[in-house]
Amino acid sequence: MINVKVARYLPEQSAAPFVQEFKVPYDASTSVLDALNYIKEELDPSLSFRWSCRMAICGSCGVMANGIPKLGCKVFLRDYEQGLLLEPLAHLPVERDLIVDMDAFLKHLEAVKPYLINNETTAVKSATTHQQTPAQLGKYKQFANCINCGLCYSACPQFGLNPEFLGPAAITLAHRYNLDSRDQGKAARMPLLNTAEGPWACTFVGFCSDVCPQQVDPAAAVNQSKVESAKDMLIQLFKGKL
Amino acid sequence: MKPETELKRSAEPIWWALFSAGGVCFAVFIPAAIVFLAMLLPLGVVELTYTQAQSWYFSIWGLMFTGAVVVLPLFHAGHRFRHGLHDLKVQQHTLVKVLCYGFASALSLLCLGLWCIGYFN
Amino acid sequence: MSYKPVLTRTWWLKHRAFKAYMLREATVLPLLFFLLTLCCGIYALWQGPSQWQAWQITMKHPAVLAINSLALVASLYHAWTFFQLFPRVMPIRLGSKTLPAQVLIAGQWAGLVAVFVLFTWLFRGSL
Ligand code: SF4
Ligand code: FES
Repeated sequence: MINVKVARYLPEQSAAPFVQEFKVPYDASTSVLDALNYIKEELDPSLSFRWSCRMAICGSCGVMANGIPKLGCKVFLRDYEQGLLLEPLAHLPVERDLIVDMDAFLKHLEAVKPYLINNETTAVKSATTHQQTPAQLGKYKQFANCINCGLCYSACPQFGLNPEFLGPAAITLAHRYNLDSRDQGKAARMPLLNTAEGPWACTFVGFCSDVCPQQVDPAAAVNQSKVESAKDMLIQLFKGKL
Repeated sequence: MKPETELKRSAEPIWWALFSAGGVCFAVFIPAAIVFLAMLLPLGVVELTYTQAQSWYFSIWGLMFTGAVVVLPLFHAGHRFRHGLHDLKVQQHTLVKVLCYGFASALSLLCLGLWCIGYFN
Repeated sequence: MSYKPVLTRTWWLKHRAFKAYMLREATVLPLLFFLLTLCCGIYALWQGPSQWQAWQITMKHPAVLAINSLALVASLYHAWTFFQLFPRVMPIRLGSKTLPAQVLIAGQWAGLVAVFVLFTWLFRGSL
């Protein structure tokens, strides 16, 4: 048995969040998500949390485990024998129990135009798209592995201090498309990346990369974006457009 | 999110470039500078007479020294200090910016000015 | 109704990674002290031999020596973190391969050592 404390929030019952403790049986293969499902099925059906794939790919089961953002299905009770406190993902508004409002995160993702932009006609497209050499793919592949779990936002104190900050995953996504040889949308993405709320709000804390379940290294992408934004400034300066 | 037409380019690339260059200097030049000038010299292990120091510093090498060991590290420090204050929730952003970079600029100008006077005399 | 906890001023005390980060940012404090003593030295050099002598005596003060030693430790900690960040911010690609980070990190440490060699050579007369 492990003591699992869960931060509860039931707005219709009380305005303040509270902590509830549960005793959960476990073996070597019990994940934190399994524990939550056990609590819901056996101990308290009112508990709310998100999950879907239970194999670390849908990105919906993010929680704070002892203060660190984790995918519930990817961490195991056996590693928390000293006790476990589960809280909703940090830096996002909490709707109920472990459910956070991901709206700000999704809006930021959307704002960077995360899709291929080019002015090829459909005919040209169908003949030429998807052709890419391994070297061209290698340039952005790592940054394309993001599953939009939002753990990096909960790990980022700069996003916590300033919710306007575009944040690790969104900037990584922008950088991923900027690096794609099939894309010509960089000019359309740079204006947002050149603002104070773009990569410039980042101080390379680097914790986002530590918690990322996909080894995307968002901190690297954000800081490479600083280089790109600086280059963009220089180019505009030489063109006399600044 | 602001509408696209209201996006404003940040001046941060300038400060960040100075910060990065200063960061390289802080890492590569400062350790040796501290060991020789602030430890071995005062401890008497090495010597630097006034005339020698003068002929070294008030040469073109002195200008490079000032850039790499004084000016750039000053801007590095100013930038980190500024962001550090933001982290500690001291968020009078404009004031902090003026104070941090103002301090770095003032001290830099002082050192560069002294070098100029010495060099052109 | 949703709630959102606000980050307190002391957020960085809550996790090891954040403490290490704040320590990295704080390396500029002893650096600033060293830079100030150095600027005083330059000022003294401009003023004349007696002031230069006085500056050297001030630099001997145990407190000054102690803080400057701290600045040395800080500069090495900064170097250790900075050298690791560099290959991630500016990865160097040769064809389809990225130059291994270890190579870039080792190169930067070599640069640091080279500066020590340069200073030793400069002071060779009095060593
Ligand atoms: S970058 Fe990593 S931590 Fe951030 S949303 Fe994507 S997968 Fe999750
Ligand atoms: S349930 Fe899909 S990532 Fe955990």
